Amino acid sequence: MELIEKLTILADAAKYDASCASSGAPKRSSKGKDGIGATNGMGICHSYTPDGRCVSLLKILLTNFCLYDCQYCVNRRSSDVPRARFMPEEVVKLTLDFYQRNYVSGLFLSSGIIQSPDYTMEQLIRVARLLRKEHQFRGYIHLKTIPEADPALIEEAGRYADRLSVNIELPSPDSLIRLAPEKQIGSITGAMGTIDSASNESRADKRAPKFAPGGQSTQMIVGADASDDSRILHTAESLYGDYRLRRVYYSAFSPIPNSPASVPFQAPPLLREHRLYQADFLLRSYGFKAGELIGAQGNLPLDIDPKLAWALVNRAQFPVDLNLAEPAMIARIPGIGIRTAQRIVSLRRLKRIRFEDLVRMRCVIDKARPFIITSDYRPRQDTVESSQLRRQLSDQPAQMALWA
Amino acid sequence: MQVLCCDDDFECWRSQARQLLAQNVPPHDVVWEDERIPQLFAAEPAPAYAATASTHRVPAELLGQLKSAARYRTPGRWNLLYRILWRVVRGERQAMLAGDPDGSEMHRRIKSASREAHHLHAFLRFHPLPADEQLDYVAWHEPAHDILASASMHFAERLGRQRWLIATPRDGVWFDGKQLHYRQPCPPEWLARAEAVRGKDDALWETYYASIFNPARLNRKVMQGHMPLRFWKGLTEGKLIPVLLSQARAGSQKDGQAVGVAGKTGKVIRLMKDRVAAGGPATTQALSNHSSTGDS
Repeated sequence: MELIEKLTILADAAKYDASCASSGAPKRSSKGKDGIGATNGMGICHSYTPDGRCVSLLKILLTNFCLYDCQYCVNRRSSDVPRARFMPEEVVKLTLDFYQRNYVSGLFLSSGIIQSPDYTMEQLIRVARLLRKEHQFRGYIHLKTIPEADPALIEEAGRYADRLSVNIELPSPDSLIRLAPEKQIGSITGAMGTIDSASNESRADKRAPKFAPGGQSTQMIVGADASDDSRILHTAESLYGDYRLRRVYYSAFSPIPNSPASVPFQAPPLLREHRLYQADFLLRSYGFKAGELIGAQGNLPLDIDPKLAWALVNRAQFPVDLNLAEPAMIARIPGIGIRTAQRIVSLRRLKRIRFEDLVRMRCVIDKARPFIITSDYRPRQDTVESSQLRRQLSDQPAQMALWA
Repeated sequence: MQVLCCDDDFECWRSQARQLLAQNVPPHDVVWEDERIPQLFAAEPAPAYAATASTHRVPAELLGQLKSAARYRTPGRWNLLYRILWRVVRGERQAMLAGDPDGSEMHRRIKSASREAHHLHAFLRFHPLPADEQLDYVAWHEPAHDILASASMHFAERLGRQRWLIATPRDGVWFDGKQLHYRQPCPPEWLARAEAVRGKDDALWETYYASIFNPARLNRKVMQGHMPLRFWKGLTEGKLIPVLLSQARAGSQKDGQAVGVAGKTGKVIRLMKDRVAAGGPATTQALSNHSSTGDS
């Protein structure tokens, strides 16, 4: 099979992994050295596809032959898709070529399970080793970890990769049993634990070789099973806590060709996915707890963002006086982000904050207005009912239908 | 009123501004023109201000900010910078903050220019020159702001000892494997080399781009927000975008599969144990009955 035909199949097979991030790597440079590749921790999106997704890495499967039969996966063994397999050298060549032309900042390599989990993991490692050792490639490498593989192999993978990921796939163990019969929650969390302790050891000893310095991430599929947002967010929160994951990705379940009856054949719930990312950001960067954003059951509202939703049920904490409040509380005001909160704090050392200052700092004024006090402004809406405010401030969203 | 020109060069503006500050010339009495144009009226004698002997202290942070903001192309860009400088050295430090009318505009310019540097790192495309003895890669790029000189070193970090050239309508850089050479305006021979590779196809990359796109998630607005239209013509994948958009709308949106894959023959995989009645290879056995491991 021609290289180009393999690429057609194995890129198509890899698109259901949401992550394409090239961030979090330590600073590396090839300036004045043999070999190529650099990382600076930031990550670059070299293109965007018409689905609005960033293209940062060459994201492909080594092969889409697979012995597993995960119902939500286009590459499950019972799926009637074209199959292909790259030789490790072919992946290396593609990565280097795409990198030098500035199409990508590195490689995200995953694979279907062939022969055995150990064999598959060894093949993935072989590509990374060739890139790092033979070609002195210093760009970004993200390797998918096969959960059932020998921990020694996972540790070897971490010496070459910037990031490792093990997909949790579904938010509840019951769904995993039902939809991914060959996968086990125990081996998934076991592999996360292996990665976490290996990265711990490497951090503790400065002379030790670096281990996956970009940390680990995972992905949860949204909408393939009946799990609600509360379950998803609480699962994410415990993964962040237990394994210090760098990121949890949420992937709205996309209908797949030859879709089995066990999973929905509907348009991907993109707006729901968007609200989950917003809530996730509040967990990671704003100090919110999952329990503050959502109850023990249910979904996030689609018509308003999760921060506004939180503010509307916590009206007693508002309005907040921007000239007096703690920085962390300012960042909790709808329409004011972390950066703007910092700017407000540095500005108020010099002068009293006025309403027009917020306009200049490009706050989302309509959202912030009912929740703030400045030296020249006090919200009239302070006494307006939350339900009425919500009607005024909702995005009036429409979930896209499939064949609209 | 003094009329000055600094040829859009920061160091030139800086020395002019230093002199003006020493002469106590307020911002409303000086204007920078973008080009040296003959003045209709002979320059008026500048009103004499009492020069101050003391040297002005400019915070290092402000100097960096002015330098970054100066890369933003806009008519009369230097006037705002002098006004901010003037206000800050006279004790009005808030002039450099985002909450101030002048500071806000400066920060907007810094942000735009740094975004444009990021666009250079993201959307520039190098074309290999396998037959060339002096150069490994060449690129054509059209940045909206003057970021080429300050942002190009990035590619030396990426490409190690490889030699490359970037030409733009305004300026150019050449990395000879060891050092970066900046020229403004861009030398004609550099322009010619970049011109020769503009719009070249790359079948592998176009294949990848079409295949990694998920038509079921079609979202033109987000794509365009991140990758402004003006860059599309410089990208080989640019010409695919309208095709992929219309294919998605015409039906391929029903699932995530790429059009190029949908036409190929599929293959269902049958496990050994299903094919052979009993005693399949051990590997397959191991896969089909997991022993429970970990903390399940």
